[in-house]
Amino acid sequence: MAVIETEQLTKLYGRTRGIEDVTFAVEPGEVFGFLGPNGAGKTTTIRTLLDMLHPSGGSAHIFGLDSRRDSVAIRARLGNLPGDFGYGKQTSGREALRVLARLRGMEGTGRAEALAERFHADLDRPLGQLSRGNRQKIGLILATFHSPELLILDEPTSGLDPLMQEEFLALVAEERQRGATVLLSSHELDEVERVCDRVGIVRAGKLIAVERVADLLAKAQRRNLVRVEFGEPVELEDVRKMPGVVKAEFAHATLEEIFLTYYGEGEGEA
Amino acid sequence: MSAQVAALVGAHLSDRRRSLLAWGIPLGLWSAFIVIIFPSIEDSLSKAVQSYPEALKEAFGISQLTSVEQYLQAEMLSLIVPLALGYLAVRAIASGLTGAAESGRLDVLLSAPVSRARLVAAGFLATAIELAAVLVITAALTCLGSLAAGAGLSFGSALAGYANVWPLALLFAGFGAIAAGFSLRTSVVTGAVAGLLVTMYVIDLIGRLDADLSGIRYISVFKYYGNAVEDGIDPLAFAGVTVAAVLLAAVGAWLFERRDLAG
Repeated sequence: MAVIETEQLTKLYGRTRGIEDVTFAVEPGEVFGFLGPNGAGKTTTIRTLLDMLHPSGGSAHIFGLDSRRDSVAIRARLGNLPGDFGYGKQTSGREALRVLARLRGMEGTGRAEALAERFHADLDRPLGQLSRGNRQKIGLILATFHSPELLILDEPTSGLDPLMQEEFLALVAEERQRGATVLLSSHELDEVERVCDRVGIVRAGKLIAVERVADLLAKAQRRNLVRVEFGEPVELEDVRKMPGVVKAEFAHATLEEIFLTYYGEGEGEA
Repeated sequence: MSAQVAALVGAHLSDRRRSLLAWGIPLGLWSAFIVIIFPSIEDSLSKAVQSYPEALKEAFGISQLTSVEQYLQAEMLSLIVPLALGYLAVRAIASGLTGAAESGRLDVLLSAPVSRARLVAAGFLATAIELAAVLVITAALTCLGSLAAGAGLSFGSALAGYANVWPLALLFAGFGAIAAGFSLRTSVVTGAVAGLLVTMYVIDLIGRLDADLSGIRYISVFKYYGNAVEDGIDPLAFAGVTVAAVLLAAVGAWLFERRDLAG
């Protein structure tokens, strides 16, 4: 049985488009990516799954339960990181954790301390005093501290620096190993490529494709464009003289690569 | 009370602890000041009141100002405290619903296995506790002021007067819950319910001033407010308004369950 299953799920806001006829399934233990630009309908789909928005049509089932009627039972088994996470400026992460733990009927705060250490998150400062990235870390901890069966993460790496993005991607891989199912939305192709098994592409409120990431990349492959790395520095002229080459240029390192060059493991701590 | 509601009420009160003091202490100090100055102005006050127009005295429920209790009723409990606490009530419940939606907290709380109705119930309960706490602080400072100045205020009467504000203010928390069922903007909810609060006061005032229009007072909660400092609490009115407030909050919870929580 699929963990998440939608059938022609539709949400309309009056005349404004939300999502239309979204049909997909996420299998147990799968990491499923929702890929699309801002405003495509990723967040609307997630909020409809979580019963924060009531569907205009179609249906959604999570753990085989109806997303509307059984919403409370469903939420007992999942963790959610909302897009643009916030909780209140005066509240600290630890205070928020205590409230959520009590709402979940937990005695303690699960693995929150270990996660805080891993993400270098400050649980004791009021959220209003934290940068966006540091707030996002708290959001991630609140979504995962209780080791849920299903993780729903809306733009989870938004605001995180590259080191923490790496840590997050490692966490998602560990969650999959633990047996958890993950649905994450992103507009970063690279992020989805690295962590997801399958991806759904959302455009203008419609799910236009659901593919395995490897298949998607194979389809999008430009078979006349190859990135080659030499063992030593080369002259571009020498490369251009090779048979069949019509264009050659040096590749710039991405900012992420430069960042990771300067910050080794353990050096990201303030 | 379930563990979930207890957790939500605790969090709500923790967030509002500054507000509780910010309202309770100024109101209490003001009220204490009224009581403290009474002995020194008592004589001139009685003469002044005799010269007031009858309509004015009727409007503010003043027959005479010969006791500190009557003065407290006229200066604090007939207008300022009910309006202030009614406004505080809608601010308090809005902070737990629309304020939480605006800050993103609602999304986080509703990721946990808690129903929206429980969120509304917890917000309403926390508001009821906050209102009671503000009234206790205000009444306590008033009584301390009387003790310090030897004003001779009857503590029982003062407590009855302040306690009587509680159901009236709570009713506007109920209206706030209903308003949150229609709008998730704090400014809209507080504006709409504050407008209703003032409108009800004005309706009651008009009904008192014009005998021909006295019938309209029945649609205002101020009709059932009375003068508990002098007459004691009317148990029927107290219970009736409290039940009405709870019913309004229940309708608000029903509406809140059915609305979209747009991000």
